[in-house]
Amino acid sequence: MSFFVVKRDLPGITPEALQSAGIRAKSCCAEMTGEGQPVRWVRSFYLPETAQTHCYFEAASKSAVEEANQRARIPFTQIVEVVEMTPDMV
Amino acid sequence: MNDTDLAASFAIFAAKQRRADEVTPDHILLGCLRAISRFGIATLGPWSLDLEALGVDWVRQPDGLRPKVAYSAEAVELFDRAARIAKSARESGVGVNHLLAAFATEEGGLMGELKRAHGITSASWRAAVARLGQGETNGTNSGAESKRDRAGSEARSAREYLTPEEAAEALGIHVQTMRAYIRSGRLPAFRLAGERAIRLLRSDLEKVLEPLQGEKKEE
Repeated sequence: MSFFVVKRDLPGITPEALQSAGIRAKSCCAEMTGEGQPVRWVRSFYLPETAQTHCYFEAASKSAVEEANQRARIPFTQIVEVVEMTPDMV
Repeated sequence: MNDTDLAASFAIFAAKQRRADEVTPDHILLGCLRAISRFGIATLGPWSLDLEALGVDWVRQPDGLRPKVAYSAEAVELFDRAARIAKSARESGVGVNHLLAAFATEEGGLMGELKRAHGITSASWRAAVARLGQGETNGTNSGAESKRDRAGSEARSAREYLTPEEAAEALGIHVQTMRAYIRSGRLPAFRLAGERAIRLLRSDLEKVLEPLQGEKKEE
């Protein structure tokens, strides 16, 4: 399993719409996992200054993350694999 | 899995069962009704809505059946509306009651059919959903059990999935006994995908109940 960041440009997005997207993301990840294609939404960061959102997912492939976001109908601009690093690892 | 996740899961399952291309508000309504139902009956205010009459196999559990489905634009709007309702109620999370309340103004689709069949109005629907979230107030509350406790109890009694602690409470046994049933396989239990949490189906609890035969008289 790898980590991926999903970048979104969401100008004018409200906190309620973000919450709505979160529910949809969770349910679609659970559904795909139930189908045998594990995807996990790990966490998201909203950048108010740029109206961007960086959402981190764990999955076997980029295509699985892309599909989860398409099913949840959450727009994105880019999906890229990331390497995790924490203070404990250095 | 909270009640909203459960409703969403049932909604996706309903869409798949109907071979729909997308998860629509109709499927979400069915998912919400199933999430609050018991034995296939969703009780909301004065209405008892039979899931079977709505074409729902309420015993069958989501099984990851294909084909794949995505949320429709209308479904996204419904989730957004529910989140706004939750905010207006100053509640941090979006619950099944917020999703149900979001249907109050719907005149088309399944909600429209229910309105016409049961004489439901926007106001009567919202009133029923409000009671679902807060528990009925019948004036007999002695104070020993708060409204919040009762609301929580009602919500738990309507849920199909229970934690081991809730399942133990339902059977009136110690949670360690419940865990022993799970370990021994006497009670089927499920692990939430990717989590340590365990859930049991309410309907499975009867499996550990054995009828008393009564003492036989010696011949």
